[in-house]
Amino acid sequence: MLDLNDLENRTIYIVREVYAEFKSPAVLWSTGKDSTTMLWLCRKAFFGRIPFPVIHIDTGYKFKQMYKFRDDIAKAWRLDLVIAKNEEALKEGVSPKNGKFECCTRLKTEALKKCLDEYGFDALILAIRRDEHGIRAKERYFSPRDENFRWDYKDQPLEMWDQFQRLAGTGTHMRVHPILHWRELDVWEYVRREGMPINPMYFAKNEKRYRSLGCEPCTLPIESNAVNIHEIVEELKTTKIAERSGRAQDKERIFTMQKLRALGYM
Amino acid sequence: MNINVVIVGHVDHGKSTLIGRLLYDSQALPDDKLAEIQKLIEEYKRRFEFAYFLDSFEEELKEERTIDTTRVLFKGQNYYTIVDVPGHKEFIKNMLTGASHAQVAILVVSAPDGVQEQTGRHAFLLHMLGIDNIIVAINKMDLVDYQGTVFQEVKKETKRLLTSLGYSAMKFIPVSAIEGDNIYKPSTRMEWYRGATLIQTLDGIEPEGVSEKPLRFVVQDVYRLDSENVVVGRVESGTLRRGYELIFQPSGIQERVERIRVYPEDVEEAKMGDSIGIVIGSEVRRGDVGGRLENSPSALDRFLGEVVLLEGTLKRGDEFEIKCGAKRTKCLVKEIKERINSETGEVMGENIGEIGENEAATIIFETDPLVLEKFSEIPELGRFVIARKNKNVGAGVVLETGR
Repeated sequence: MLDLNDLENRTIYIVREVYAEFKSPAVLWSTGKDSTTMLWLCRKAFFGRIPFPVIHIDTGYKFKQMYKFRDDIAKAWRLDLVIAKNEEALKEGVSPKNGKFECCTRLKTEALKKCLDEYGFDALILAIRRDEHGIRAKERYFSPRDENFRWDYKDQPLEMWDQFQRLAGTGTHMRVHPILHWRELDVWEYVRREGMPINPMYFAKNEKRYRSLGCEPCTLPIESNAVNIHEIVEELKTTKIAERSGRAQDKERIFTMQKLRALGYM
Repeated sequence: MNINVVIVGHVDHGKSTLIGRLLYDSQALPDDKLAEIQKLIEEYKRRFEFAYFLDSFEEELKEERTIDTTRVLFKGQNYYTIVDVPGHKEFIKNMLTGASHAQVAILVVSAPDGVQEQTGRHAFLLHMLGIDNIIVAINKMDLVDYQGTVFQEVKKETKRLLTSLGYSAMKFIPVSAIEGDNIYKPSTRMEWYRGATLIQTLDGIEPEGVSEKPLRFVVQDVYRLDSENVVVGRVESGTLRRGYELIFQPSGIQERVERIRVYPEDVEEAKMGDSIGIVIGSEVRRGDVGGRLENSPSALDRFLGEVVLLEGTLKRGDEFEIKCGAKRTKCLVKEIKERINSETGEVMGENIGEIGENEAATIIFETDPLVLEKFSEIPELGRFVIARKNKNVGAGVVLETGR
């Protein structure tokens, strides 16, 4: 196990850097375990209350339990919740049937783009982790995006000793990844240590549980008997199944994740 | 214990292959990574490569070279964060990004090729960053028929290089990443070698004893909470206790620590690495550094640093932004004392006008006041990044503070 205190301290340092260096930051929250942990750490960094908006990208295809969890937590933690929804695309009838690449791009990336245009956020805190996917393992803590949201992965900034890149020019925003160095197991150990609230869909029912939460049509549960956090921790210590194995958009074609992310997908 | 291990070396000497082999033999890979690679091999009519476990970009897989750094987590006796870095000269900035948090380095040297340009440059840069512990994996032994004489020759050549760069601790292991010799499993094809495998060598690393250094608390911000000034930041070295009298530089403010706040409860003490908030009477500024009255930090406006430049040129009289701790301020290149060959560590010229991309030099900087320490004394505040137009373009360490 990585030292949870070390992980927490570094993440809090990064979050405070964002707040000090950017005019208008926001944090993305899918209601899943990673971004809920991210919110928890933001609350710690600012002694209880997150001083910037929390964005939930609502594709309209999320699980019912995710909406309920979102609304309960938003109230309990007094979040300044901003819901980003691409109503236009939904009216046009965009759905996973159009292909996952198109659906993710329109309902997630484009919804986020519209939200940024409206609110003018210059930094977005995201709870991606290196061990989730090979493409995410290539990320920096501070990752600049151009006005078209593009990720210039062929020319990423020099990032040493927590001296992060700053924004150059206007019309851009910074993606910040404060839990990049955490592993799935660390997140669960931390959830357990902190006694954090968590969406019950992660716990097994009828020998199946969700290991990663996304949109209902594109997210499948895994076979599991882990009915509580202790059992999840034990399961993760031995499993050979990848965390995102139940997430269809990663698997559609071989470089889909890279292409999605280059266009600004999370 | 978690150890960050960076794998460096010249292009095509087998860095990604070595890590891929380590992951494969230790069965650390998830099943669907194997399935993904199977799909790649079929779709692109490739033969299997261990490097496919690490390289993820389409360009990396198609061009068969690593472009940017990546990290994988791996468990042996310890936990390892293995950092793969690119071997091409054009990607030195990505290599340094990967290496900057490493504690241990594995230098991969190809047995048939011996020491090459990036072998020297990577070793030089790592040593400059403070890495002293290096494991040399002499790879591709299968291509030289596993001959002990070839291993000895390459070992001698590499040892000469590393010694001249100032390394004191080094280990040499003959390996074949492709065939799996001496990586995870002991080789049966090199009877003449009786030493440890790579994984045994990693597992044998002892945690470094942390010597107690003077307190340095870096101020990130000041929050106004419940009618108190909460100064947030990180303890970079030493220990901070409630009740301490602290002096902050460069602002010069002296205050007593009334509370140490960590949500949800106060603590009495904070140690190196802790992100905390302290309650003091007056406001200090972002970038200030706090310390105790004895061994206090002092602000300086001139110092000697060793710098590697990763983009553009650096000329006498140029202005950059210097970043150390949470401080950003202007600095001026007063004098370029020595230009250093970053391949060999040799001095190439004195008192020169400019250096270029991927070159190193010792430089006298003049700056607006900021707290810097000698790298050899408090490394956390003895290393800095220089930026131009908001872009990080170089990195360095402080050799002399002139105090």
